[in-house]
Amino acid sequence: MIAIPYLTALTTYFSYGLLFCFGQIRDFFRKFIDWCWSPNNLQGYAPICLGLEDFYIRRLYLRIQDCFGRPISSAPDAWFDVVERFSNDSNKTLKRTEKISKCLNLGSYNYLGFAAADEYCTPRVIESLKKYSASTCSTRVDGGTTVLHNELEECVARFVGKPAAIVFGMGYVTNSAILPVLMGKGSLIISDSLNHNSIVNGARGSGATIRVFQHNTPSHLEEVLREQIADGQPRTHRPWKKIVVIVEGIYSMEGELCKLPEIIAICKKYKVAYTYLDEAHSIGAVGKTGRGVCELLGVDTADVDIMMGTFTKSFGSCGGYIAGSKELIQYLKFTCPAHLYATSISLPAAEQIISAIKVILGEDGSSRGAQKLARIRENSNFFRSELQKMGFEVLGDNDSPVMPIMLYNPAKIPAFSRECLKQNVAVVTVAFPATPLLLARARICISASHSKEDLNKALEVISRVGDLVGIKYFPAEPNKLHQEERMKLE
Amino acid sequence: MYVRAVPTTDLNRNTEWFTYPGVWTTYILILFFSWLIVLSVFNCTPGMAWTIVHLSHFLVTYHCFHWKKGTPFADDQGIYNGLTWWEQIDNGKQLTRNRKFLTVVPVVLYLIASHTTDYQNPMLFINTLAVFIMVVAKFPNMHKVRIFGINGDH
Repeated sequence: MIAIPYLTALTTYFSYGLLFCFGQIRDFFRKFIDWCWSPNNLQGYAPICLGLEDFYIRRLYLRIQDCFGRPISSAPDAWFDVVERFSNDSNKTLKRTEKISKCLNLGSYNYLGFAAADEYCTPRVIESLKKYSASTCSTRVDGGTTVLHNELEECVARFVGKPAAIVFGMGYVTNSAILPVLMGKGSLIISDSLNHNSIVNGARGSGATIRVFQHNTPSHLEEVLREQIADGQPRTHRPWKKIVVIVEGIYSMEGELCKLPEIIAICKKYKVAYTYLDEAHSIGAVGKTGRGVCELLGVDTADVDIMMGTFTKSFGSCGGYIAGSKELIQYLKFTCPAHLYATSISLPAAEQIISAIKVILGEDGSSRGAQKLARIRENSNFFRSELQKMGFEVLGDNDSPVMPIMLYNPAKIPAFSRECLKQNVAVVTVAFPATPLLLARARICISASHSKEDLNKALEVISRVGDLVGIKYFPAEPNKLHQEERMKLE
Repeated sequence: MYVRAVPTTDLNRNTEWFTYPGVWTTYILILFFSWLIVLSVFNCTPGMAWTIVHLSHFLVTYHCFHWKKGTPFADDQGIYNGLTWWEQIDNGKQLTRNRKFLTVVPVVLYLIASHTTDYQNPMLFINTLAVFIMVVAKFPNMHKVRIFGINGDH
């Protein structure tokens, strides 16, 4: 639930309207000048973009391009080096300089701190690189399945709590190649309205009918499910071949946890719906031993039919996995194009995942895993409560390491980003179309490698920049310590 | 004064912004402020100013809602490329609250413009023509209809 001040909503719509008008006027003049002064001989060539497709990129995104896609020149640990860029033509092109600035990293999904060199994982990864080389250069069915791949799949299945697992080389592909295999024409996909683009693309590519239910609202899911089961397939009204409900563990733009127990209860009540849980952000980051949102909310993993996740966020590697029953995984190994035709996951990356899982479970002999998990929980709760005390509008549930700070107005997006960079704090800002038009935000990801001093510096900088930019939409709670000091001086 | 912003089930990023709170008020305020600006710039009678606002509103909204097709970004892979904004809104469902509001606004503007110019002739004819075209374009029966193939797909 996002509470937006009414005046801010009006000014945001007005700003976007103004930006849209200016974009149209500039497009009109560009067409006019091109028609008069530089007639081009491109007869017979088809245009690259159809109609208005690139309007948003050309007229809105390029104006503040320096806030997105900043190149870095070191590993994305708690502190990293950001390369400075400058532009001579008001941000149409950006040129890199030789200068770098060391900034605090609040944007990487480095939940457990495995993104930089780790004392247990990195030597093993380098050894496996020397032993197995960087890539298998073939698909899993040809010559790309090694001992390490089998070990990785067993390790992942054991960690997640399912009988078997299958691993792919890329996280996005895991969703968009699995959904067309499992669902076809005559099936029904019911997905949350804020699901990630990979799920939306996979669902569209499958040919199944897609229905959307209101974000994290089990009552609306029940309504949609009842209506669809009663109606059947469109036009023929035959019963659906398969029904799947797709939700995510932690929604990356809201930082909210999914209401998994209620949704599982509804799916069990109606008996026909399978559940698909995408734990990209929650695996390894939440839960007492890091096993994700099922452990945190007390849901038995046997109740969720298909569990999907990625290794990019908490494990510091790349790739994605699907965990489920043995029959499901066997079926996927025979039919999924990502398994049959795509190169298998690179072996040093697989070794990194196995070592990271060993550290998290404590099987490397130390308690670093448990310490990391405790630290990320502590850091997230501390940071979120401090930001809320200062008066910022912060989304997300307790225990979630993702916290978006609402900005709303389009002009505050580059202002916040640039001011923070000047004070050596790197944040990621997200705007339309990744978020709804009104609700632009700065998304902060807390890591287990952030120390208390780092968090305090971040809070100080964000508070100062927040005052400058004007995003403290809620009244701040008065600081009792300051009042006591003032009494002492007087 | 805060309002709650609930995420909608509309997946089309081009039209889902219209379902959030504050849009109707912004629309009416823009019309009112443009009347004030026209009055200050052209130094004409209030009636002429309302006529100018009504006609420019007609031109701008006809171009944006009923002429331009598709979406201004490429993320949705062109599934709305044959539909104008009016046909995309609310997922194509007819007679929703948003559609009724957008049909009423040009009619109210027409009534204000005609009343303040005392129903005198050249303005009355042009205003009536504009509102007639606007309202017919918004009928549910005109969904995806292209008269004489104007603005049709290739």
